[in-house]
Amino acid sequence: MKISSNCAQLLVGIFLLTALVLPSAVTAEEIKIGVLFPLTGGAASAGRELRSGAELALEIANNPMPDINMAMARNAGIKSMGGAKITLIFKDHEGNPTLGADLAKKLILDDKVHGLMGAYHSAVTKAVSVVAEQYGVPLINDSSTSPELTKQGYKWFWRTTPHDIYFTKDLFEFLKGLTEGKVKGVPAVPKKDIMSLASACEKTEWGAAVSELIEKFGKDYGFEVKKSILYAAKATDLSSEVRSLIAVKPDAMLFASYTSDAILMMKTLKDQKAAPKLLWGQNAGFEVPEFVSTLGDTTVGSLTRTVFIPKIALVKPVAAKVNAMYKAKTGNDLSGASARSFTGLQAWVHVLEKAGSLKPADIQKAANAIEIPGDELVVPWQGIKFATTGDDIGQNTLGMGLIGQYQKGADGKIDLEIVYPFNVATANMIYPFPKF
Amino acid sequence: MDILFGAIASGILLGMVLALVALGLTIIFGLMDIVNFAHGEFLMVGMYTGLLTAQATGMDPLFTLPLAGAIGFLLGVVCYGGFVKYLLRGPMIAQLLGTFGLMLLLRNLALLFFGSEDRALHHGLLVGKSFDVGMGIILSATKLAVAVLSVLAFCGVWLLMNRTKLGKALTATALNRQGARYMGIPTERMNALAWGIGGSTVTIAGALIVNFWSVNPYVGLIFTMIAFTVVALGGFGSVPGAFFAGLVVGFIMEIPGFWDFFAITFDIGWMADVPMTSFKYTWIYVAYFVIMLISPRGLFGWKQ
Repeated sequence: MKISSNCAQLLVGIFLLTALVLPSAVTAEEIKIGVLFPLTGGAASAGRELRSGAELALEIANNPMPDINMAMARNAGIKSMGGAKITLIFKDHEGNPTLGADLAKKLILDDKVHGLMGAYHSAVTKAVSVVAEQYGVPLINDSSTSPELTKQGYKWFWRTTPHDIYFTKDLFEFLKGLTEGKVKGVPAVPKKDIMSLASACEKTEWGAAVSELIEKFGKDYGFEVKKSILYAAKATDLSSEVRSLIAVKPDAMLFASYTSDAILMMKTLKDQKAAPKLLWGQNAGFEVPEFVSTLGDTTVGSLTRTVFIPKIALVKPVAAKVNAMYKAKTGNDLSGASARSFTGLQAWVHVLEKAGSLKPADIQKAANAIEIPGDELVVPWQGIKFATTGDDIGQNTLGMGLIGQYQKGADGKIDLEIVYPFNVATANMIYPFPKF
Repeated sequence: MDILFGAIASGILLGMVLALVALGLTIIFGLMDIVNFAHGEFLMVGMYTGLLTAQATGMDPLFTLPLAGAIGFLLGVVCYGGFVKYLLRGPMIAQLLGTFGLMLLLRNLALLFFGSEDRALHHGLLVGKSFDVGMGIILSATKLAVAVLSVLAFCGVWLLMNRTKLGKALTATALNRQGARYMGIPTERMNALAWGIGGSTVTIAGALIVNFWSVNPYVGLIFTMIAFTVVALGGFGSVPGAFFAGLVVGFIMEIPGFWDFFAITFDIGWMADVPMTSFKYTWIYVAYFVIMLISPRGLFGWKQ
């Protein structure tokens, strides 16, 4: 009996000791970030890319990888919080704003997340940003480009990606450059030959905004936008839209489409024998791997704006390293989507590191103060620094876009080549767009 | 002028496609007088059958049609025998709610098994081929094939209904079920047959349509709506009426094309600025509403 009571005392002692010691030794604080992406539905392939990008960034943030030249790769977890590890909780919003807002509420109230990231579709991001603002939970948006999102004056919303005003301006700078002979491999094109434009954009928040910007910048740069079509991204048939575009005989056709509609659009253009001199897509559907894998040679010569082209690896060692890791993990190169979700989570890590606590107010203060240098990023930006004043609050002021063109390499593989900015062009541009 | 001819040609082709989609409903709803809200879902089943069989076996999607037809026939007969038969014993509202439930069931089964992603065929004999016949008329090979099949199917059903004993029995069942039964017509079997034929025509249409349109579990909704419009416009009980109505609806969907023609030919600025394509499907609903208001019996209907 005596022995067993001694044993019991010992056990209680050990138990108490562990209870006292363990918390400080392990600092088991877990940082939970809710991530909303379209993992099913029309943009599911982009959703998968986004998810893989964020997961890769998480892996680098939670494990020391000193051979990558990034602040977040040096430590395991968040150093200022005693090495606390980040956990991502993924939710699928299917591209549906109402569902997105519901899931955000669920993440905040049930999962008790410390922050949010997402949500790709601008319309969904808008709905989620309202919830985040309401509950005072920080939301870093990695990949939605409707300018409207940072015009709301929200205090809990930050966006790392450049938005469509930047990108659409890039397009018109590019068109202007085309008429001035600045494009690599193309002699100056007389302006009258590229004067008339026609656009078809999907009709939710993002596409509608792009459509308006095309009209606005078209006017500013002296081009004629002959037709602006808004269509439903879920449409099963786009033939009347395409005929409507062809009817005005535009020199350039411009698109803002998600995945399945971008593919359907290209197929219908081919079906209807459209013959524009230039075909440009506002990324999204035009740069997911499915675009090339399903359409093949049809894509050669089409342009897309993007924020990441694997060829960047030639000039950015850090991008080369991360791209190699991503390719080993998924079999694909980084795309505009995955590179941006990677960068979005990277921004989260910097914010948390600077905040040193999980109090929303501290995170807010840190987000407004961070400055990530450009050489740490995989995307070709000058860095990340959020605007705290002006009419674009929460917007990263150091971002920029690229325009790429699908070209067939000597090995028969179709890859994006950089054609804008002109000083980093990696290939001669194919102009005019080859006939379908 | 090219725009006008292009729009007319496209309207006719699309009209024939839609007529084929609506043929099954013409039989089930128009002739046999049983409401079927799950019609679009039958089409979806046909689309998935064509797509998945082609992808799994590597055969051309065109050769999946017989399989799709067989599955559609079975689906129709099973739905009737296992479910709709019992609904007919209740009031009309039972049919409405019952087939509505069937629609939700099929749609959610598709969601469960196939996910909500859009899927499309990218390879096949007809996929991505089109003929430029001049004057702005470009005919897509797949739509042309559907149009031909549509004409054949309509002729077949018309012959069946008007030239055979079976057709007479079907018509009798639809007109007066009790009376037909007294005359020795196996009405239950007639109804099941109508559901079988209706199901197989629509799944065949689906397996063809998937050659040019992508499929997801929600695709049925818009087609159900279009099919009901076609049947209502054509008139309940009229097979040629449904074909004609399909063409009319095809033209209605081409309104943006005609609009462009006027805007460009006569250079009317404000017309060019109206986003007509955004309202493409709106006109179908408007047409449905107007038809119901003016002529509830449809244009060629003979049934009370």
